[in-house]
Amino acid sequence: MVENEEPLSPSESLRLIEDQRVATVRRLGGDPLVLYVPWGVAWLGGFGALFLHYGLAGEPIVPISIDLALGVLFTLITAALVISSALNIRRSVKIKGGSAESGMMYGYAWFLAFVTMGVISVRFGQQLPAQERGLLWASTSLMIVSALYMAGAAIWQARPMFWIGAALAVLNTAGTLAGAGWHALLVSVFGGGGFILAGLLLRRRQR
Amino acid sequence: MTGLPQLDPVIHAQARLKVVATLNTLREGDRIAFPGLRDLLGMTAGNLSVHLTKLEDAGYVEIIKTHKGRTPITYVALTHRGRSAFHDYTAAIRQLLESAGTGTNDDN
Repeated sequence: MVENEEPLSPSESLRLIEDQRVATVRRLGGDPLVLYVPWGVAWLGGFGALFLHYGLAGEPIVPISIDLALGVLFTLITAALVISSALNIRRSVKIKGGSAESGMMYGYAWFLAFVTMGVISVRFGQQLPAQERGLLWASTSLMIVSALYMAGAAIWQARPMFWIGAALAVLNTAGTLAGAGWHALLVSVFGGGGFILAGLLLRRRQR
Repeated sequence: MTGLPQLDPVIHAQARLKVVATLNTLREGDRIAFPGLRDLLGMTAGNLSVHLTKLEDAGYVEIIKTHKGRTPITYVALTHRGRSAFHDYTAAIRQLLESAGTGTNDDN
């Protein structure tokens, strides 16, 4: 019964190959919407709250405490982390070989980089005034995210991922030069907004 | 030009073409667990096994049986030969389409 299929025409063959490739990439790579949008919302809301606390001229725009702003940021980041890892587990099709190893090393790279960053920021942050300390944490975090995005793009040969990392590096540099308030504003609007936009655009391109 | 290219009969069958196209999407050196492949293709296990055996006989796929604890796991990968056969197949298909385009200008 399996052999009694109609022979395919060349154009049908080509279409089948392309459909199958798209379906496989989507299934294994995950939905860009759920990969990017939770992080976009977390940055938009979290760094947005920080910006409202710092303001641009040394005065808060909305009188919220730094603890509240950081609480919003960490809650949203935790939520994004939970959502993305839950989806990672759910769509796990067992694949062994080179890319499984790359993926594992890449995961450990994120973890170790953030541990190192935490130690550096705690150690040197003690010497700094509160705003500068906040900026130290934010800018070193962003540096890791942007560098690992570009490195990840090199591993999986994913150009959009490289451009996201490169854009974050530019944003981080400009924001750090301008100060805590500007940094929070830029990361919130362009970083968070950018992630949301990237999720929507990449999703559209996949179809 | 020496006429139209021949299509590899092992690959030129809907179900096996799907299998090979899917495996070709994986990076070289990667292998996928049987249940994952079955889900990606939406085939029954029996049907997929039949096609995999044909592809294995042609030397296009490699089937690796291992154990995780006591559970047996089967992994499937495209061989070098399978990858280049798929490459040749898509090149032949493109060539056929081009010659159809320059000929009657109608592919149906």
